[in-house]
Amino acid sequence: MNFGQQLINGLVMGHAFALVAIGWTVLLGVARLVNFGHGQMYMLGAFVTWFAIATLGMPYLVAIPMAIVIGVLVGLLMQRIMLQATIEQNLVSIMIMTLGFGYVLHGAAALFFGSTGQILDTPLSSKEIAFGDLWMTWQDAAIIGVAIIEFIVLKLIIDRTRIGRLVRMVAEDPKLAELAGVNVRNVYLGVFAFEGAAVAFAGAMVGPRTPILTSMGFDEVIMTFVVVVLGGIGSVTGSYLAGIALGLFTAFFGAMVSPAYTTAAAFVVLIAVLVLRPGGLAAGAR
Amino acid sequence: MSDRNESFVLRASGLKVAYAGNTALSIDQIEVRRGEVLGVVGANGAGKSTLVNALAGWSRGAPRVSGQVMLDGVDLSAMPAHDRARAGLLLVPEGKLVFGEMTVDENLSSLVGMSQDADRRFYDRAAVFELFPRLSERRNHLGSQLSGGERQMLGIGRALMLGPRALMLDEPSIGLAPRLVSTVLQTMRTLASTGLAVLLVEQNVRAAIDVVDRLVLLERGRVVAQGPAQAMRNDPRIAQAYLGASST
Repeated sequence: MNFGQQLINGLVMGHAFALVAIGWTVLLGVARLVNFGHGQMYMLGAFVTWFAIATLGMPYLVAIPMAIVIGVLVGLLMQRIMLQATIEQNLVSIMIMTLGFGYVLHGAAALFFGSTGQILDTPLSSKEIAFGDLWMTWQDAAIIGVAIIEFIVLKLIIDRTRIGRLVRMVAEDPKLAELAGVNVRNVYLGVFAFEGAAVAFAGAMVGPRTPILTSMGFDEVIMTFVVVVLGGIGSVTGSYLAGIALGLFTAFFGAMVSPAYTTAAAFVVLIAVLVLRPGGLAAGAR
Repeated sequence: MSDRNESFVLRASGLKVAYAGNTALSIDQIEVRRGEVLGVVGANGAGKSTLVNALAGWSRGAPRVSGQVMLDGVDLSAMPAHDRARAGLLLVPEGKLVFGEMTVDENLSSLVGMSQDADRRFYDRAAVFELFPRLSERRNHLGSQLSGGERQMLGIGRALMLGPRALMLDEPSIGLAPRLVSTVLQTMRTLASTGLAVLLVEQNVRAAIDVVDRLVLLERGRVVAQGPAQAMRNDPRIAQAYLGASST
């Protein structure tokens, strides 16, 4: 086992996990919602980026905002349909509806983009950075860079801005927030739009690392769920750290044992953590 | 059409609240005038909280509410709770009053962009600290670390920053030491002297009757007696049930 290379792989994977999880972290923290369509929204972000580059001939830097816009629209549509259930916190209905949305997105994407696998080629994905026998692609470096920037910016927004305080008020007690003049419905819509944007952005950034298929999404949901819960529900810092931890765990476990069992092993760790710290690793942080 | 020159600030008429078809409140008319503290008293389950929640368009349950709520001549009846708050009808609810995961400073700055109507006073943080100096000393503490009295002050302070035309308080004395009860209630008197209309729901009639101008007695969701505080002090239903006078 090349320790240095596994460390790099783990850090790249960890930042990719964190990037995919960030939208769900905010969604779960604010609206207490579990979105089982999250993985398919990730898939859609990757495919819209691929379509914009491969079919429409757009540059990567234009394709990314296009994927984000589609992600926002899907997020707003989902929340508009589920708004009443969200306000009533009808969690069972919401879970079923988001699961259904995932399948609808999968079907629609297969219809539009086809069911064959594609390669999301970007100007960064084929260029390598090498340090002796260690290497990564510029796409990997970009994933680490944008994930760090995105988490810092989000943390600053949540901690230090008026919008962040409104979001925290609704997350803690939406009924009390109403009495402070906060339009809770708009906050929920905004959070869903952010989730759509964030996961589509993650699709555009992380998608180039592997072949993309319209049937993908389930693995991403599972690993994202581990990151979000492990990090502590709604904790931005916790999600980032949990993403890195899961990435390193996956890389080293895959190298030392077998990649085939990493998901099962990740869940063993998750269950153990939840038994010892029911609120997640960063319980109490935000 | 606005009739802001009328002396009442808050008026509700034909107000009915029902839970699952059962009427919890039925009030023909209730009004609070400018600069007045109106006390609403009654036993547990009399409908006091139901009344202020219905006026605020707010509830943690799902009641069916009908009737008209006017604030300074503006009909709020169709407005959701957040719009009523923005219009200046502020409720400091019973129980959870503050955002426990936010500091005192954050609780007093997490406000939406409000209209700055010239005829409303929007307290700033400094003015709230002047009214409640204790909050200034605790400004970096989380809401969850505050005592009951401090939470009450913070809840009132946050409402004042939203520019109330009328301020409603639901059982502010619950769980407070007698000295703090007196402080909080006297603050209501002070606020009313600036022209604010105050509706005070209280079970502690003995403490409330000294600061209110008029008193409304609710029983099983209906007004059974009302009048000036001094006159109501002698009403046998108040005197015997709430002030401990012996029936002779």
